[in-house]
Amino acid sequence: MVETGTIFTLFLFLCAAGMALAAVTPDRRNPGVLAMVAVPASLVAIVMSGDVLLSGRPFEAALWTLPGFGPMRLSMDRLSALFVFVTGLVFLPVSIYTAGYMGRYLGRHSLRTFGLFYHLLFASIVLLLSAGDVLSFFLTWEVMSIVSYLLVNYEHGKEENTWAGYLMLALGEAGTIAAALGFLVLLAVAGRLDFVSLKAAAAGLGDAGRWAVFLLTFFGFGVKAGLVPTNAWLPRAHPAAPANMSAILSGVILNLGIYGIVRVNVDILPAAQAGPGLIVLVIGTISALVGILYATTENEMKKMLAHSSIENMGIITAGLGAGLVFIASGYPVLAGIAFTAAFYHMVNHSLYKALLFLGAGAVDVSAGERDMDRLGGLIRVMPWTGLFFLVGSLSIAALPPFNGFVSEWLTLQTMLRSAELPSTAVKIVFALCGAALALTAALAVTCFVKAFAMSFLGHARSGKALKAVEVRRSMTLPMGMLAVCCFLFGILPTYVIPVMDQAIAPMTNQRIADDLVPPFFALDAGGSAKFSPAFVAEFHDLGAQTGKGILPGRGWVVLHQGAERNPVVFAMSTSYTVVVLSLLLIGSVLVIRALTRARTVSVKPAWDGGLRRLIPEMTYTATGFSNPVRVIFAAVFRPMTFDERKETIAEHFRTAIRNGRKEVHVMDRVVLQPLIKGLQAVASLLGRMHSGSVNVYAAYVFISLILVLACMRVF
Amino acid sequence: MLNWVLKGLKTGIVSTGYPDREETAPGVSPGLPAGQQPAGPAAGRCLTGALRLGGAELQVDRARCVHCFRCIRGTESPADWQPGYEWAARAAGDRTAGWVPGSQFGRSLHIRVVDAGACGACLSEIEQLNKPHYNMHRLGFFLTPTPREADVLLVAGPVTEHMKTALRKAYEAMPTPKGVIAVGACALSGGVFGPSFASGAGVRDVIPVDVVIPGCPPPPLAMLHGLLLMVSRSGTPAVTSLKSQAGGRRDG
Ligand code: SF4
Repeated sequence: MVETGTIFTLFLFLCAAGMALAAVTPDRRNPGVLAMVAVPASLVAIVMSGDVLLSGRPFEAALWTLPGFGPMRLSMDRLSALFVFVTGLVFLPVSIYTAGYMGRYLGRHSLRTFGLFYHLLFASIVLLLSAGDVLSFFLTWEVMSIVSYLLVNYEHGKEENTWAGYLMLALGEAGTIAAALGFLVLLAVAGRLDFVSLKAAAAGLGDAGRWAVFLLTFFGFGVKAGLVPTNAWLPRAHPAAPANMSAILSGVILNLGIYGIVRVNVDILPAAQAGPGLIVLVIGTISALVGILYATTENEMKKMLAHSSIENMGIITAGLGAGLVFIASGYPVLAGIAFTAAFYHMVNHSLYKALLFLGAGAVDVSAGERDMDRLGGLIRVMPWTGLFFLVGSLSIAALPPFNGFVSEWLTLQTMLRSAELPSTAVKIVFALCGAALALTAALAVTCFVKAFAMSFLGHARSGKALKAVEVRRSMTLPMGMLAVCCFLFGILPTYVIPVMDQAIAPMTNQRIADDLVPPFFALDAGGSAKFSPAFVAEFHDLGAQTGKGILPGRGWVVLHQGAERNPVVFAMSTSYTVVVLSLLLIGSVLVIRALTRARTVSVKPAWDGGLRRLIPEMTYTATGFSNPVRVIFAAVFRPMTFDERKETIAEHFRTAIRNGRKEVHVMDRVVLQPLIKGLQAVASLLGRMHSGSVNVYAAYVFISLILVLACMRVF
Repeated sequence: MLNWVLKGLKTGIVSTGYPDREETAPGVSPGLPAGQQPAGPAAGRCLTGALRLGGAELQVDRARCVHCFRCIRGTESPADWQPGYEWAARAAGDRTAGWVPGSQFGRSLHIRVVDAGACGACLSEIEQLNKPHYNMHRLGFFLTPTPREADVLLVAGPVTEHMKTALRKAYEAMPTPKGVIAVGACALSGGVFGPSFASGAGVRDVIPVDVVIPGCPPPPLAMLHGLLLMVSRSGTPAVTSLKSQAGGRRDG
């Protein structure tokens, strides 16, 4: 067995080699070289983290010691390994995709810098996730922030991209500062930089300190995760970024925000009261709802996916919040289930969102258009992209047997478990959040029915969409890989959950594998201490043992056992579902075939209402499809319609009338704009000091000097 | 709510008994000029060419008559009019395929109405079919919004240039077996509008027609008759009786 440390060094070496090669390879061959290095690097990251996840041997490496602050160290525990694993899982297909995709920038932008920063980003993310102390954490965090900003802003020539990148950087840095302040509060009691000592010292923190750390880090890292109210950068950054960077932004970098929140507020300083957990839950729920509302009504593919990322991050955060409340209320098992749901959803989101972004990129390359109103009918010309995009849409819409279903189902079930909690007020919050999350799930279906149907089905609504062709194999293959992952994570929850459980157990001090995945394969009729013989017998009769003997693992059923009165709180098995579903599907196809064999089928052109010529633009558009949502939630969207007229000859003749609508994002309207207005008011107040007269400035200097002296005297 | 129910119960059934019983309500039909009749001065008064002299006989072309009453009003010797409403007839020879409309549809026929440039009169009469008095649902006739689900196309209007393609497309979009009923003078002959630069000379020029219903507009009962004829359920001799003469022309 190779040491984890050796593999880690190999990974860093590969990234460095990638950077060096990217710097010397000519632009034309650069993307290919990038894939050749980044693919093995991702594989190494997967192997390394997989090893830690399965074996549980944390990887530790001391770097150097800062005088007075203790050692700086790398340490990868199972929690970090889980994040690194997802990172590798996303980077692997994205690196292959990059080889085919980046060609479109040839001659316009430097591909060398892209390759250079790409590897730097990869290395900084993995280092960040395995940082064992505050200093290396923030160093790598900054490298990651700046490099991701540079890559997102890759097409830097365009005005709106500059603005989007600036917003991303500004909000990101504000978040970093807040998070750093939170860590400073912790450092004040710990005196040492490494996470282990922070964790040991955190118990001694007072109530005010705890709240300060929680609020600062939650909102600080929340910026990276794209949570409300600081989500403004995300829907602007995504359309600006190249598609492969979008996949990494949503699939990996948003997770880092979650990682920060989890590392501080679950691992180092677990909440002692329900308060912080409830805030996390509510913020998560609002993010989810606001995200999906805007996603449903957005027609630009990448913006839509960006809003949907906000939604998914919201669902993950809501799961975390529920877990925090359960921990604080003394229900470690339920907390474990909630965290499992959250992390499972995070992994799933990374997979399907990367897939969907790659799909959007393929459409963009091929049709040169991302506006769903102007796409349509692509499935005929891009069958593979269409198929994989469909898998991604089904997964994100949480339909079985794909992965989104498992985690959203678990999250909703967790919300229902709040019935156990003693406090009525907390229960009400959970009930409201649960309802909002259920609404979110329903809207997600609407959103992705629209996304798939309006882009890939029906008629091509523009000449560009008509002329689209399938993208290269190097771009469809990675989408296929991600689609397969989506399917596997959907049908194998009973294998994923025990692994995740081991990563979560140190934080909740409770293993929950038995509570979610009963070992039906191992249990005999006698049952065990946890499962009574009657319970086991009942499930064995239902077929829970099907596959025993030939298949490894604990079983195929995800099940939560309740008390005497209610022995099964929830249970499902996507693995069996997929078998039953496919049998039903094949069966019904055969029956329909048999029944209609004698029938003659005539194929006629589509009924178009008798138009002389059916113009594709007349068919159902994305705007039309999502309009009911826009109308129902008008209070949130607050659309402003404008109507521009051009008139000539004393305003008697109109030469042009243009109607349109403008929407300001609800968070911008409610939070950001008042904030900016307030700051501007303060600034203009201060601006009054600038009279321009030298005497006045001299007076300022004099007054401040006196103030400083007075202060020194007093303290 | 309760009032509404009570009122309904008190009123009872208001639908016409046709085709089981004859409809005798006054004003149900204006009647039509009777077939052949001895020539009189009335012929000269017809502006649409519905009355034509064929030797000593006056020939009536029902497809052209627009119920203007010039041949019976304001003249010394009015033309002979025939009361009633069972005017629909099979249009012979139009069918290329050997299809006889009828039993396939059992007791359920779905109708797509096409306004091929009608003035609105025929359409307002068609509308009556769906209302309580005529209540065509009791006979198994239903309107459908798409030709895909239609068995019969009910066409009114002379087929204007702009509706030609639409009509043809609607016919092509229907599944077989399918039938076409032309309603009103315009649909039969172009009426007062066609043939002209903007209108054709009726539905027949565009798609094959199975049943014709003359009149301008034909009363709803005539349309019911046409529909029954379409599904071969109107085999009985005309129900037209002397009683409905009262509803014919009172002032003749
Ligand atoms: S009622 Fe008919 S037949 Fe008599 S004049 Fe008018 S159009 Fe001619």
